[in-house]
Amino acid sequence: MNMDAARQAFVEEVAELLQSMEDALFALESSPDDTESLNAVFRAMHTIKGTGGVFGYTPIVNFTHEIESVMEEVRSGREPMTEQLVGILFECRDHTGNLVEAIVANDSDENLDLDPELLKAGQQLVDKLIARNTGGTGGASAAPADAQAAAADNDSNQPKYLPVASDAWIIGLDFGPDAFRNGMDPLSFLRYLASLGTIVDVATIPIWPHNHDDFDPESCYLSFRISFRSDADKKTIADVFNFAEDDCNIRILAPESAQEKYLELLQRLPDDHITRIGEMLVEVGALTPQELSRALNSQEVTTDLDTEEDAATKKRRLGEILVEQGSVKPALMEQAVKTQEAARKRLDENRFIRVDAERLGHLINLVGELVTSSAAIRVMVERAGIEDMNEVVDGVDYLVEEIRDNALQLRMVPIGDSLSRFRRVVRDSSKELGKQIDLVITGGETELDKTLIEKITDPLTHLIRNAIDHAIETPEERQRIGKPTTGTVLCNAFHDSGHIVIEIKDDGAGLDADRIRAKAEAKGLVKSEDVLSHEETLRLIFEPGLSTKDTASNLSGRGVGMDVVRRNIEALRGSVELESERGQGTKVTIILPLTLAIIDGFLVGAGQEQYVIPLSQVSECVEVNPTDTSNRNGEHYVNLRGEVLPFIRLTELFRSYNDENKSSRESLVVVRFGHHKLGLVVDTLLGELQTVIKPLGSLFENLQGVAGATILGTGDIALILDVSELATIGQTHRRASSQYDYASPQ
Amino acid sequence: MAEATATTTTATSLTEISEDSAQYLTFSVVHERLAMSINAVQEIIETPKITQVPMTPAYIRGVINLRGNVVPVVDLGARLNRGALALSKRSCIVLVEVKSQHNSHVLGMLVDEVKNILEIPRDDVKPAPEFGSEIRTDFIEAMGRVNDVFVIILAIDNVLSIQELATLKAITERVNPDGPNVGK
Repeated sequence: MNMDAARQAFVEEVAELLQSMEDALFALESSPDDTESLNAVFRAMHTIKGTGGVFGYTPIVNFTHEIESVMEEVRSGREPMTEQLVGILFECRDHTGNLVEAIVANDSDENLDLDPELLKAGQQLVDKLIARNTGGTGGASAAPADAQAAAADNDSNQPKYLPVASDAWIIGLDFGPDAFRNGMDPLSFLRYLASLGTIVDVATIPIWPHNHDDFDPESCYLSFRISFRSDADKKTIADVFNFAEDDCNIRILAPESAQEKYLELLQRLPDDHITRIGEMLVEVGALTPQELSRALNSQEVTTDLDTEEDAATKKRRLGEILVEQGSVKPALMEQAVKTQEAARKRLDENRFIRVDAERLGHLINLVGELVTSSAAIRVMVERAGIEDMNEVVDGVDYLVEEIRDNALQLRMVPIGDSLSRFRRVVRDSSKELGKQIDLVITGGETELDKTLIEKITDPLTHLIRNAIDHAIETPEERQRIGKPTTGTVLCNAFHDSGHIVIEIKDDGAGLDADRIRAKAEAKGLVKSEDVLSHEETLRLIFEPGLSTKDTASNLSGRGVGMDVVRRNIEALRGSVELESERGQGTKVTIILPLTLAIIDGFLVGAGQEQYVIPLSQVSECVEVNPTDTSNRNGEHYVNLRGEVLPFIRLTELFRSYNDENKSSRESLVVVRFGHHKLGLVVDTLLGELQTVIKPLGSLFENLQGVAGATILGTGDIALILDVSELATIGQTHRRASSQYDYASPQ
Repeated sequence: MAEATATTTTATSLTEISEDSAQYLTFSVVHERLAMSINAVQEIIETPKITQVPMTPAYIRGVINLRGNVVPVVDLGARLNRGALALSKRSCIVLVEVKSQHNSHVLGMLVDEVKNILEIPRDDVKPAPEFGSEIRTDFIEAMGRVNDVFVIILAIDNVLSIQELATLKAITERVNPDGPNVGK
C-alpha cells in the first residue's frame, strides 16, 4: 500500500475514533460511570497511539499515552470520572485531532518539525491531567518522565513491548511413571533445552509413592521446575519436549515480559484472525497447539453433551481449563476474552465496507454515461422502427434505472452523524457565553448524498452558531420574560418530494425586522421608500455585509455569514427560507436536492431548445390556449381552476422564438418549490427523462435560472432549469409593471 | 475541410520546430486573419449543434456536447466586438485549454474558418501597438509578420478569461459603447 493512502486511512480512522470518543465523553458527562463509554475513550486513545506508533509519529504516541494511562486508572476504578476530567478530555481530544492534522500535513517522513506552540499546548494539557491526578497512583505520575524521555528519543518507547530476557520462563515437567520404561531420559531434554538458552535453576521434585513398598525402581517419580532464560518463543521451547508428550505433563509459563507482548499482540490481532479463543492464543504464541489440543480433549471429557445452549459457555470453560492447566496466565486469558468480544462486536460493524469516495464517484459517472447511452439506443431503435427491439430496450431501460438508483443509494448516508457534531459546538459555545442551551436533533436517519453533507456542514454550523450567539437569550433574561431558562435549538431533517429539508429552529429572541430594515437602509441596500413584506425584510439578512449584532463576538456577527450561507446552499441547487417572530424565535429552512448526480427530469420544448424541469417539482401539466396566456396589459397569470397562478413563458424570457413550427397550442407546466407555485409556458411536452446532471462549469457560475445541463439520447444538450431562480428572475422582470405575489397552494 | 488542412500542416511542420521560432494557428474572423499560439489548442472540430444558453451575452454562443462533456463555446466575433458570427460550412470550433486561478477549463472558440499553422521566427514577432487596433489591447499578445503583413496574435488567456467571461456582462459594449450592437 502506498504511504499516502495509508496515511489517508490513518487520518480517517483518527477522525472516526475521535468522533466516537466525543460521543462517549458526552455520555460520560451525564453518567460518569458508564463502562462502555469509559472503554470507548480508552480504546480511541489506545488505537490512535498504536497506529501513530506504526507511522513513527512520536508526538502522537506520547500525548495519547498520557490520556490512555489516565483512562486506565479511571477504567479500573482507581480514580473517579469527574466533570473536570471530562472537560480536560474534551480538550485532549481536540488536541489529538490538531496533532494528527499537523503531523500528517507536514510529514516529511524523517523530520517531524512541529509547531512548538502545538507541542506546548499538548504539554499544558498533560500537566493539567497530571495536576488533577496528583496523589493518584505512582504509575500515572511516573508517566510524564516517561514521555519526556520518549520525546528525547524517537525509539525509546519501542523496546517496551519486546521480550526482555531478564525475566525467565517457568517450565514444569511432570514425568509419568512409565517415562523410563518408554526410553525417556529427562536429563537429555534438559541438555537440549540448555542449547536454546540458559537454564537458571532447576528444582527437582520427586513425587514418591505413599507406600514405600510400592516403589518401583523402573518407574519415574520425578518432576522438574525449570527457570529458563531464552529469546526463543513458546513453540520452540515446547518442541524440545515433543517426544515426551505422552509420558510427561508439560507446562510452559511465559515470563512477565512475554506476557506483555502477548497482551499487545492480542489487542492488535486483525479481526479476520479472531475466531476461537484457543486459536487466538496459538496465533500470538501464548499457547502451543499441543497445549490447546490437550485442553480441548479434557474439555470433551468434561462436557459430554454439547447442546446449543452449552456452546456459549463452552468458550469460558476452555479458558478455565487452559488456566487450570497452567498454560496461560489468567490476565492473558482475560484479555483474550475481551479481544474476542470486541471483535465479535466489530464483526457486526464489518457488514460495512469502506470504499474510496473517488471510486464511488467514478461509478456514478459511469452509470450516468450508461443512462445517456441507453437513451441513445432508444432513440436509434425508435428511429429505425424495429418493433422487436422495443421490448429489449424496455428491459434494458428498467435495469439501467435500477442500477442508477442503487448506485446513487451507495453515496447516501444518514445526516445524523454530521448533525450530532453540533452538540459539541452548542456545548462549547453556550459555556463560553454563559447560556444554557439544549440541542435537540430529530430525523438524523434521513439520508443524503455524502458530497452534499460535506458541503452543507459549514452553512449549518453557521446557522447554529447564530442561534446560540444572537437568538438565545441569557438565562436571566429568559427568566425575566417568562421563558424556560434553558433555550432550545431544534435541528430537524426530513424528506419532501425529492428534496431534503433541514430545519434549524430556536426559541430565542427572533429577528428584529425594524432593525434589519434600519441597517439595510444605512448600508444602502434598500431605499427608505421601498415597500417590503415582512418576509422580504427578513431576507435582507442574506445580503452581504448585514449584521444586526452591534459588536462582533467570537462566534458570529461579523456580517459575513448569512450571505455565504445562502450562496453555499444555492450553489447546491438548494434554497433557504426564513421565518421569525419577534420574541418567539427563528426558523431557518434549508431545502436541498437529494443528490448532485442524476435526477428524474421532465423534458419540455421551448423555441429551438429543449429544457429539463426536475420531475419532483412538476405538479401537473395543463394544455392552454395561447389567448389565455398572451400578454394582457402586462399581466402574467392564468386562472387555474379558480386559482391565480403566475406564469413565465420560457420563449419570452429566453428570447428564443421558433417561428417555423409555432404550434397553436401551448402547455402550462405547473411547478412548485417550497410553498410557491408557478406556471411555465412551453411549446411542447416531451415526457419524463432520466437526467444525468452535467455541470456547466465556472463560466456559468453567475448564470441564474439554469442549474446544469444534460445530454439527451440524440446527443443534443438540454439545459436543466432552476425553478426557484426562474421565479425570482420573472418577478424582477415584472416588478416595475405589476405587483403581485405568488399564489399560495392553499 | 479546414480541419484536414490543419492536421496535415501540423504533421509536416512539427518536424521543423526550432528555438528561434514558434508555431501559430491562424484562422479568420469576419474576414480578418488572426493567430494564436498553438500550445493552447487542444483540437479543432467542425461545428456541431450548439445549444443556446439563455440570458447570456452574445459572446457566449452556447454549449456543445464534446464526447459526453458539456463545453461552452465563445463566439470570437462577438467577443472581439465584430458581431456574432454567421455559421457556414467552414465554421469551426477551436478547443482551447484556458487556465484560471485554480484549474484549467476547456472552452470552444467559434471562428469563421481555420487557415493553417504558421511558423513565425522570433525576430518577426513584434510587441503589440499601444493603440490603432479595433481589438482591445489586452487581447493582443503580439504582432507577427508574415510575408510583410502583420497578423494579430491573440492573448488567448485574456480573450477567454474565465473570470471576465463569467461575469456574463457584455464587456465589449462597455469598452466600445458606440460600436455595433452585437445582439442576435
